[in-house]
Amino acid sequence: MKRTPLYDFHRAHGKMVEFAGYEMPIWYTSTVEEHMAVRNRAGIFDVSHMGRVNVTGPDAGRFVESLFPTWLGKQPNGKSVYTLLLNKDAGIVDDLIVLKMDEERYLLVINAASKAKDLKHMEASRGGLDSKMDDITDFTTMIAVQGPSAVEALQPLTPLPLAEMKRFTHSSSTVNGVGAIITRTGYTGEDGFEIILHDTTSRAMAVWEALMNGAAPCALGARDSLRLEAGLPLYGSDMDEATNPLEADLGWVISKDKQSYVGWERLASLMQKGPSKVRRGIIMNERIPRREFKVTDNAGAEIGMVTSGTFSPILKKGIAMGYVKAPSSQLGDAVKVVVRDAPSNGKIVKFPFYDDSLYGWKRKPHQ
Amino acid sequence: MPYQVLDGLFYTKEHEWARVTGDTAKVGITDYAAKTLNDIVYLTIPSAGQEVKQLGSFGTVESIKAVSELYAPLSGTVTSTNQELTNHPELINESPYEAGWIIELKPSKFEEEKKSLLSPRQYEELLRSLDAEHQD
Repeated sequence: MKRTPLYDFHRAHGKMVEFAGYEMPIWYTSTVEEHMAVRNRAGIFDVSHMGRVNVTGPDAGRFVESLFPTWLGKQPNGKSVYTLLLNKDAGIVDDLIVLKMDEERYLLVINAASKAKDLKHMEASRGGLDSKMDDITDFTTMIAVQGPSAVEALQPLTPLPLAEMKRFTHSSSTVNGVGAIITRTGYTGEDGFEIILHDTTSRAMAVWEALMNGAAPCALGARDSLRLEAGLPLYGSDMDEATNPLEADLGWVISKDKQSYVGWERLASLMQKGPSKVRRGIIMNERIPRREFKVTDNAGAEIGMVTSGTFSPILKKGIAMGYVKAPSSQLGDAVKVVVRDAPSNGKIVKFPFYDDSLYGWKRKPHQ
Repeated sequence: MPYQVLDGLFYTKEHEWARVTGDTAKVGITDYAAKTLNDIVYLTIPSAGQEVKQLGSFGTVESIKAVSELYAPLSGTVTSTNQELTNHPELINESPYEAGWIIELKPSKFEEEKKSLLSPRQYEELLRSLDAEHQD
């Protein structure tokens, strides 16, 4: 099994599990404590297991433009873009962040478990374009700093003026003296940063330890409950190659005036008729929904399936995301989730599950 | 041993305990079970008057990540349930053997059934063997 540069810390302080071929911590103290630390202050996550791939060369711009449904060439340098990698049937191969460094250099941050197939898929789509892909995962360390106090937690370690950075932009700088790319992104629903350190030695560990002055170490358990509470889908659980972007409620990543990328012809016809199922949130009155539990309408007719479920530490209720029939299922509809033979009451709701004036990056500043 | 095991209790291999006092028994999950589940956030348990069977499932305890069945250490009739747990399931993590008790029951076959339960020493032995399995 693979280990990240921060493994020694995890082993000493966390409960370890296998995740996408890596030995990773599932929690340090408690998932609920770590979850609340991120919602109320700041938390740090080792996300070094995520794939990091440089796409460079004279044709790099044309190459990435041919892969993704979102315009990248039109973006200014320094932009970080959330997008999808699709197959020719518009099935989702992966979701990712593309960092546009300049016209000839892009950095892709992809899911750990999807890395091998993504690389194969992209190479197969390259044609004769003069561009190469370099997997830099093993030569870098990646740490996410997330939460309303993320700026305060990270600013003492970097000369980059963080408060001036816009969300979904990035910049090269240093963190605790180590060369790094800092991007104002994350997958918790909160404001925050992801730091890609050009280092895998004790200097990377020193960055982690210095960040602990302003942020709590958080592990995979909290990462999952936070992204679910924020309504963010997890690749492999909430979407896969049998799911298209419209079904996954990710149609917003599609640049409507863009053509000629892998999957666009199929997407164009899908957009005309609309999806027959769609990813939605369900909040429960009682019980906790879990993956693969059936969803029925109030009369008991099956309308879908849960793909992720947990207990929301903020709402103190069971929450789920899953797929329900479209367009018949509407926000606000009363539904039932079958929890171990017990049909339990819930309601279809919009994402995020929490009140976004109180939690998440849109929240109003504290008085 | 990083897990607390109390004297004077009966244990199951599934990590429940029973504290027998007179003709009633309080039942809960062990420190090991609570720590392994991590954050306990939800319980489904029977109400008073219901019958439970030794080693039969009588409910579930859930963490953020997982669901775990509860197995009755003894057969009997449920006489009460811990109402505090409805709003504070974390009591099981904080105090698995005291404030975090789950149900109280009136055992129907205690003398016969206690033979199949583990003593504190036997339960510690079980935990040591589980711990050994998880070493590298």
